[in-house]
Amino acid sequence: MSWSLARKVSAALIAILVSTMMVMSLFGFFKFEEVMSSLVRSRYSFVAFTIKKKVEDSLNLGFALRQLRQVQETIELEKARDEQIQGIEIYDARGEILFNSDRGRIGASVPETWLDPLTATSSQPFALMDEDSNVVGLPLVNNLGKVEGAVVLLYPSGYVERELGAMLGRLALEIGGLVVGFSLLTLVVASLALRPVRRRLAAMEAGLDRALMKDGDVAIAGLGDLGEFDGQFDEFVGKTREAIEHIKTSTDEVERLDRLA
Amino acid sequence: MRLDSSRSLLLRLLMLAVLVLVPPMAIASLRALDRFEEGLSPEMDRKAAAIGRDLLAQVDRAVSYGIPIDKLVGVDEFFTTLLNGNPEIRYLGLTTASGDILFLSGALSDQLAGQYRALHLTEADMTGRKTDIGAFVDLALPVRGRDGLVGQVHVGFDRGYIAAQLFGIFYDIAVVLGTSLIIAFEILLFVVVFNISGPMKLVAEVVHQARRGDFTRVPGITSADEVGHFVRAFNGAVRQVDNAYRGLMAYIDEVRTGHFDRNVAEKVGEVADRVRFLFRFNPSGAPQVLREKLSSDVRLPLFLFVFAEEISRSFLPLYAQALPAQVAGLSPELMTALPIAVFMAGIALGSLWAGAVTERLGSRKVFQFGLFPAVLGCVMSGLSHGVIELSLWRGIAGLGYALVTVACQSYISKTTSDSNRATGLGGYVGAVLTAAICGTAAGGVLADRIGYAPSFFVSTALILVSGWLLSQLLSMAEIPQSVVMAEERHGTHLLRIFSNWRFSILVLFAAIPAKMALTGYFFFLVPLSLWDSGHSLPEIARVMVLYPVVMLAVSSLSTRLADQMGWRIGQVALGGLVGGAGILAALAFDGTLPLVIGIVGLGISHGMSASPQLASIPDICWIECQRHGRTQVLALLRTLERVGSFVGPLLAAVFLQMWGGRGAIIGLGAVVLVMAMVFAMVAGAYGNGPHLETEEDAP
Repeated sequence: MSWSLARKVSAALIAILVSTMMVMSLFGFFKFEEVMSSLVRSRYSFVAFTIKKKVEDSLNLGFALRQLRQVQETIELEKARDEQIQGIEIYDARGEILFNSDRGRIGASVPETWLDPLTATSSQPFALMDEDSNVVGLPLVNNLGKVEGAVVLLYPSGYVERELGAMLGRLALEIGGLVVGFSLLTLVVASLALRPVRRRLAAMEAGLDRALMKDGDVAIAGLGDLGEFDGQFDEFVGKTREAIEHIKTSTDEVERLDRLA
Repeated sequence: MRLDSSRSLLLRLLMLAVLVLVPPMAIASLRALDRFEEGLSPEMDRKAAAIGRDLLAQVDRAVSYGIPIDKLVGVDEFFTTLLNGNPEIRYLGLTTASGDILFLSGALSDQLAGQYRALHLTEADMTGRKTDIGAFVDLALPVRGRDGLVGQVHVGFDRGYIAAQLFGIFYDIAVVLGTSLIIAFEILLFVVVFNISGPMKLVAEVVHQARRGDFTRVPGITSADEVGHFVRAFNGAVRQVDNAYRGLMAYIDEVRTGHFDRNVAEKVGEVADRVRFLFRFNPSGAPQVLREKLSSDVRLPLFLFVFAEEISRSFLPLYAQALPAQVAGLSPELMTALPIAVFMAGIALGSLWAGAVTERLGSRKVFQFGLFPAVLGCVMSGLSHGVIELSLWRGIAGLGYALVTVACQSYISKTTSDSNRATGLGGYVGAVLTAAICGTAAGGVLADRIGYAPSFFVSTALILVSGWLLSQLLSMAEIPQSVVMAEERHGTHLLRIFSNWRFSILVLFAAIPAKMALTGYFFFLVPLSLWDSGHSLPEIARVMVLYPVVMLAVSSLSTRLADQMGWRIGQVALGGLVGGAGILAALAFDGTLPLVIGIVGLGISHGMSASPQLASIPDICWIECQRHGRTQVLALLRTLERVGSFVGPLLAAVFLQMWGGRGAIIGLGAVVLVMAMVFAMVAGAYGNGPHLETEEDAP
């Protein structure tokens, strides 16, 4: 395949268009995911916060965390309300799970890293990653300021993609359509934009062809203001023709002289 | 439209680039925003429902204890706590069953009262009812008492909240679009020059000779496009004339040697002389194929290379700050400054011998040789586990940077003549500045989205593309290398230049402080200060991009001014004062404004003084330029000013440790301003025109 000027320009522009749209889509998706994740995390943090309040109210009445049997119902209710919640756990300061929406896990231990947020003195919410789950949690603090444990809520890390995959797929298709549409437009417009170049080159080539034929018209006509280069090109064409004619005349003359003998 | 000039065609193609890039970006952005809002809206509803449920549970409990809903205590404080903890929620409200507002926080009663009364919520609306009220989306939940509905809980959020959250993406999109348009410009410039105007210039050169009857050369273009097709036809015409000539000459030789009649032989000899008098043909037996390299050949690869290096501009000190840094005797501030200082030291060291190496090996080899440390430095910077390691790799990357840029400068210098050298070097400066604009702006966005280390890997990929492109372009015809320059032997003698007080003062009080301000203030203190004042990486990049933009705008004006007025030293002095004063804006203002003023001031300062500083050297060091060559003197100035590049971040780090962020800016600004003032005071004594030895010796 020969690469015409229009093809070269189109290829360059289409490559830029495709990469620009890809980068923009990527940045857009990252931003969307960031906003979405922060909203989801904020909602689940709030759910964890409501459980924390209930637990701390009981702790403040003097009950031990282990004794708060009604908490099990609360976390099961919260989990039942939202099918995206993978689990809700309450564990003590040593990492033993006291209550879990999955009753089978009660008595097990949480990963070591889950205990790190409990060493901080503040009761700020924390976020962790656990294999393919996101974890949001809050420390449980009694009215003496002692951290008794934590409540954590697990939700899937691929939440955004799973929930909105179809919508993002449609958007990707739309953007793909735009890229294809504007790529075709690029091909057409690049061809139009370079038409004067092609015409000029073709006219100069035709001028050369005519010059090389006998009695051809030397000047390149009908192309408007041609500038210094074109003026010189006219002179070149003229000179070329003059040279050919002169050499031909000289050849005839040498032939004639040769035959004289 | 001129074919041997790229301007008109480029303008046309740029319009095409705008047409092709802007509308799809705008359409895609708006569509994406719509879709994203659509996707986020249910999440907002869920959040509102979660808060509503909690609120309802609290109110339900109080009502179940028999407390009348209008007698609840502490509701406003409760609402305030909830609103503070959940910024996406705009307001919370509690009304009677008929919709009369009892408690409301976050909005005005007048905005909602009418709508609440008209709502007619029933007990059946267990999961709540969502309504649009003006600019709000309201979720109402029924409060049930013993005797049925006793009130309503309302949770509202701004309809535009999601759009406001996503709006930040438009700045990123604007940066991507701007960068794409600049890249499109660079690529189209390359396509036009390489495929159309460059070859046609070559054709024009041959035409210029051939129109006077000189058919000794043909343009050596081999492309398969329309220009290539035309050039083949053109060459065909020249070769046809050449063949006819050679045919005639062969015939004449035959007649002259073979004919028995001496009179005929003489006459055909006259014919040959006449043809040779009227036309010129190459004595080698065929027209010489003319190939010419253009200074613009290296522009696109250079642009990509500098773009890659500038990506880390806005975040390098932040990256260093985030890495573990424990070295006895070095403060954390000094450790943060170290990668920038070592990078500059790498450039300085590289520049010292890059020129001589390029003379010996040629631009292509030095460029390829320079790519190795550049790529290695970039990859390993991304993989560094500590500041010392990062500094080492930045130093190696600096070495590569020096080799590559000097190779490009040398290439430009060799492909230009005295008449067009300024245009060639203008192209170099233009490519570097536009790359700085794109790299700085895009780097911030990139690092914010993918992180510091992966941004270095993107840089590496760009450097590799640049290397591939340049090796392709330079392999087509390497410029023959001259023998090692004679000036090399002047290495030690060149140091006697310091006895020229004008040169020494220029270096000490103009060139070095300018670089100190650039690296200490702009590269080091600005990103740290902006980061500390809560700006995101893309915001830092957007502020920092002001420097190359202002510099680009000012430099072309100042170059013209310097040429017209011949006021070069005055411009250098004024530039220094503007830069120092700009940095000291931190004395008068707080927040981001003084940084913006400082960056703009620095852009004006360097735009105003960079070219006049170089242009003044032939006058200031007339004797030395004659003795050692202008290139050597300019290279020495470039190397010496890099002392300032190295010292700048380290000095700023010391000030930072002593006086904090604002104090460091003021301290460095004061140093720069005082040095600029010294230079301004001495500038008057520089005089005009070349300074000859006789003048120096005059009493």
